Amino acid sequence: MKLARIAFRNIRRNRRRTLLSGTAIMIATMFITFAFSLIAGMLGDIESNIVRYVSGHVRIRHMEYDENEELNPLHLSVTEYEEVVREMEADEEVMAAVPRTRFFTAIYRNDRTYGGMGLGVDFEREKNVMKIQDAIEQGRLPQKGQKEMVLSAGLAEELDLEVGEKLTLLTKNKYLGMSGMTFTVTGIVRFLVAGFNESFFLMPIDTTARFLKMSDEATEVLVMLNDSKRVDEFAEKATGILTAMDRDNLSAQPWTSIGASVGWMQLARSAYDVIALVFFILASTVIVNTTMMVIFERMREIGTVAAMGMTPREIVRLFFIEAFYIGAIAAFIGVLLGIGITIPLSKVGIDLTQSMQGVDLEINPVVYPRLNIRSTVFVFFYSTIIASLASFIPSRRAAKIEPVEALRSV
Amino acid sequence: MNRMFLLILAFGLLAALSVSAITAEEIVKNVERNEINEEERIDGSMIISDRFGSRVKTFISYAAGADKMLLEFTNPEERGQKILRLEDEIYLYFPEAEEVIHLQGSALKESVMGSDFSYEDMTGEGDLLDQYEVTLLGEETIEGRKHYHLELKAKKRGLAYPKQEAWIDAETWVMTRANAYSLSGRLLKEMELGDIRVVAGKYVPHYIIMRDAMKKKSSTEMRIQAIDLVAELPPDIFSLEELTW
Repeated sequence: MKLARIAFRNIRRNRRRTLLSGTAIMIATMFITFAFSLIAGMLGDIESNIVRYVSGHVRIRHMEYDENEELNPLHLSVTEYEEVVREMEADEEVMAAVPRTRFFTAIYRNDRTYGGMGLGVDFEREKNVMKIQDAIEQGRLPQKGQKEMVLSAGLAEELDLEVGEKLTLLTKNKYLGMSGMTFTVTGIVRFLVAGFNESFFLMPIDTTARFLKMSDEATEVLVMLNDSKRVDEFAEKATGILTAMDRDNLSAQPWTSIGASVGWMQLARSAYDVIALVFFILASTVIVNTTMMVIFERMREIGTVAAMGMTPREIVRLFFIEAFYIGAIAAFIGVLLGIGITIPLSKVGIDLTQSMQGVDLEINPVVYPRLNIRSTVFVFFYSTIIASLASFIPSRRAAKIEPVEALRSV
Repeated sequence: MNRMFLLILAFGLLAALSVSAITAEEIVKNVERNEINEEERIDGSMIISDRFGSRVKTFISYAAGADKMLLEFTNPEERGQKILRLEDEIYLYFPEAEEVIHLQGSALKESVMGSDFSYEDMTGEGDLLDQYEVTLLGEETIEGRKHYHLELKAKKRGLAYPKQEAWIDAETWVMTRANAYSLSGRLLKEMELGDIRVVAGKYVPHYIIMRDAMKKKSSTEMRIQAIDLVAELPPDIFSLEELTW
């Protein structure tokens, strides 16, 4: 108790020193808090984009589609997809259910052929899922039943094509024969995800079916849930619904078990773990360095208290308590500042368009940091503990020096 | 003993002379003379078999000489689609497309209707002797019939197959087997022809089985249902203008 009082008096006595040490800890803590929120925002973005653009929370496909996916097996489809979509939409857990048909195609233009990835969609239903209407840069969305399409901005640029122009697509149809059709480009879309801007185009799902000779078939039905944490439970429930519908040839998969999606998330997590580790090491170095320097500067003081009869053990404890007080207060302020920066930026976002150029990740160029309570609390305790522990090394060393020697040092 | 040796030598020389009585070039010319018709119309089908099962595509094809060919699909899924070959150029017509597609470059290597035939297989290679160095490797008996075994090596770059082997029936001048290889000697395609019938004085194989060695469990059988070698084809049938009509 006595040591705690002395420690507190020491902190107050040399305000400049305390301020210097505390500011370093505070800035480092604020930096980690914000960096963690930024990483959480980026990971959240990737997850949201994978779900919206690629897999849904739960994806329904023909049982054999996945193993033949690279062959674009349009005959392994979800037949009478409307029935499946309606059954899914009827469930209270479901936010939206959308049919989609994916197909590879050759784009023929000015005697040259280009590769492209087509997506037949129900534009009305996609309003709450892919939100294509928000991505329109020029023109309008295609109309149902019309031979119309919207092109991703990158593809439009590559093809040197503008709204109102026509282009002809060649592709393998459901019967593995060829199909060719000419479409009018009604709009150009710029998706937030860089990968989707390079070779994607979208057209009405009924026109796609006509083009690919697929009648009322889609390659998949994606289900979006109100509660994204219930994907596994709902996948099981969806399997039950499909069985009840006598559609045993279809399988419902949660997005977390879809190879490509999981791969993306693992890759992103690994990349961000490395970044987080670098931030951690940097911040920890600042805290440890400052704490140690401050104690090494106080050799004469240590010599004085030792000459007055304080035992080495008490000296170590005294400096530990001092570092703990400064660490805890500075880390608390640092966390508060980190939260203070994160909250407004989580609303307006950070525009990384320039630095994201050429990066083919499923991530939006505008990143919205997300505050994570668990990691914020962790950062507070981490900074406090690191600052306290950092005091051990110099104070133990100083405590072992004879008081006379300690008094001689400056 | 010496007399016996001379006798064996004489027989050997005779045998060698009988093999080289016909040259590789003459064999190729005979094959082309039998194969190429001034005008022809074929009603045929393609049975494509792969890991997903079998599919049948039916067609009518018209040809004039070695350079012009028009093929129109008649099966319900691809009805009205046409492939026009004019010398080495391939054009595709789709009823729902507003332009004729001129296939070029790597697109020619694409398969026709998912079959084992590529568009390149349908382009004319012109005069075989202009394109390939032909060597007679010997004679072989296949299914009891005498065949000439030829090797064809490309004289220039850019041909679909740098090296080919062909087995020619010595009596009908029909190529009954052929293998195509890459420059490194890797087998690319295997072809087998059979059911040879005499039509208007020519020997016409009524089926061709093509196997693309790059595709697993895949083969395509092209069958002739009817053939007319004296057909009078409409004028301009092999033109881009006619293609869209």
